[in-house]
Amino acid sequence: MSNNVKSAKKLSLSTFKSLFKGKASLDARKARAGYVFVLPFLLGIVLIYLPILFDAIWYSFSNFATEYVTGPSGIKEPISVTYGVGFEHYVAAFNDKGFYQVLLASIQEILFQVPAIIIFSLFIAVVLNQKMLGRALFRAIFFVPVIISTGVMETINAADLMSGSADQGINDGTQQQNGNEIISMLDVQSLFANMKIGTELVQYVVDLVNDIYNIINYSGVQMLIFLAGLQSISPSIYEACQIEGATGWETFWKVTFPMISPMILVNAIYTVIDAFTRTTNPAMNYASGYGGTAGVGVAMSWIYFLLVALIIGVVGLIASSFVFYQRRD
Amino acid sequence: MDSKPIITKETKNRISVDYEGKLTFKERLMQKVKASNTWIKVIISIFKFILMLGISYVILFPFFSKIAGSFMSIDDVVDATVSLIPKNPTFDIYKYMVLENRYFEAFGNTILLSLLCAFIQTFVSCLVGYGLAKFKFKGNNLVFALVIVVMLIPHGTLEMSMRSFFNDFDLLVPASLNKDLSGIVELLTGSRVSLKNTYWPFAIMSLGGLALKNGLYIYLMRQFFKGVPDELEESAYVDGSGTFRTFIQIIIPLSVPMMITIFLFSFSWQWTDEFYTSVFFGGPQAPWMMPKLIEDVPLHLQFNHSGMKFYENVIDNTAGIMIILPLVIMYLFCQRYLVQGIERSGLVG
Repeated sequence: MSNNVKSAKKLSLSTFKSLFKGKASLDARKARAGYVFVLPFLLGIVLIYLPILFDAIWYSFSNFATEYVTGPSGIKEPISVTYGVGFEHYVAAFNDKGFYQVLLASIQEILFQVPAIIIFSLFIAVVLNQKMLGRALFRAIFFVPVIISTGVMETINAADLMSGSADQGINDGTQQQNGNEIISMLDVQSLFANMKIGTELVQYVVDLVNDIYNIINYSGVQMLIFLAGLQSISPSIYEACQIEGATGWETFWKVTFPMISPMILVNAIYTVIDAFTRTTNPAMNYASGYGGTAGVGVAMSWIYFLLVALIIGVVGLIASSFVFYQRRD
Repeated sequence: MDSKPIITKETKNRISVDYEGKLTFKERLMQKVKASNTWIKVIISIFKFILMLGISYVILFPFFSKIAGSFMSIDDVVDATVSLIPKNPTFDIYKYMVLENRYFEAFGNTILLSLLCAFIQTFVSCLVGYGLAKFKFKGNNLVFALVIVVMLIPHGTLEMSMRSFFNDFDLLVPASLNKDLSGIVELLTGSRVSLKNTYWPFAIMSLGGLALKNGLYIYLMRQFFKGVPDELEESAYVDGSGTFRTFIQIIIPLSVPMMITIFLFSFSWQWTDEFYTSVFFGGPQAPWMMPKLIEDVPLHLQFNHSGMKFYENVIDNTAGIMIILPLVIMYLFCQRYLVQGIERSGLVG
């Protein structure tokens, strides 16, 4: 009995030693090297991110107050302290009607943009992947927004009154006939009037076209990821398709689409994240610019975060059941 | 076509082959067109070209209108007959942006900060991505999940706590507990430090792989390294090279195209970033950065005029043009690396 314990102790000691000294199995050594490689991120999480996160959560449950502390020089210095108030801020956030509206609008915008961005960027990536006249030039132009239309340029573009038709921003279904829209709602309605298509669908298409500027601007990274995915599909598969006599349409749906489906999942999640962490996001702006207690704003942004995390979870679950993973031997 | 070829020797090194009843080029072309659906292909490619041209127009038009507007005087701005080409072109906005809004100071500061962030972020995401892609260790998936979580939590939510964390900087201890607990920095140096208005917060966040969009970079790097065959490293190990030597001598040279892509992203996104600069900088001592150019209208351009609202808009647009000008120049030189880097990377899902 005692022998067993001893040997067990010895064993654990030796494995412990082997983790930190040179004589370890290849697997253990590789595992150790793996920890060293991710060490910067782990340290960052523990030393920087967790404290910041703790504060951010704590602020949503607390209020600020100023206290006077006698400093080393004998002068009373003001410092701000926090004291907990429980769920008060969350209750306040839920009672704010403006927040509901902006939350709804924001989530609507995300759900509206995600399919559009995915389809658009996949389409453009497929076209840019083919041989065509001026391909290099078009590629250069299509990735201009990724590099340039970010951060402060987004703010400038959003406030821009001069550039007319190109950047409209979202219509919010207000249907203003201000002559700036690329296509007019009335024209489309008369076109679809006899086709028994719901007005919601027509409205969606019209909004989509009028929002084309934003959709193009936000789909740069997705295009790059799709392009990379398209390039990694082996040309021999396409060759086989050609020999078997498949048309381009069939090849796309039977080969390209399944092979690119993991990228669709990645891009769907990235698009949601991108739309929701963007600085021009209305709900985040509402939360950070909230007039009342600072804690309520933080609480609002946490509520919004949880909602979006839920959406991402649902999107991920639905999409991952359709994703096809090629078995790599 | 059954007829025998007639071979004639034209010169010493040149022969010409002819058939009896050989078709001319035009006839052959017509036959080809008739035999295949070349017309459909031509129409499709023209359609594609026009579509691409149209989308390119949508992308580039705002830049054209901004550039056109930047040469306008205030009279042109309010003149309804002027749409793109100004009647009285001036360089006033550019001039006063440089003279009064300290353009070159902003340029110097921003280029320093962006280079710092881009170098650190590229290197760190390369390290972490390699570790996640190629090593099986306990908690690998957990670390990757953390990368996604960091990417997911919007930095707007963390704004206030980030500001107080770096204003009263100490590792490991949240700012709200600073009074009760002392962290690593306080234990080592005896006091906390304020990193407000320095570049340290950017460097520290980048080192931890936590800065702007770093999650995306780590993800891209991880997917890239997953596509690199294991045999490459195994053969290096067999030859007696250690893990880190293999990483430096074999993996890093291999991943240069992808690293250039990441570098371009992080450089240009840091360049136009206004969120972090507003969190970590503040007050009169704040370093003057590019995104701040739009904050004030230069003194000489302030008119008491009914069209001032539109003119301010034009000034903002011009500031935007001046902010992105260095990026555009960089992009002109680097754009092929951007696409090639990610294209050759063989990203796997």
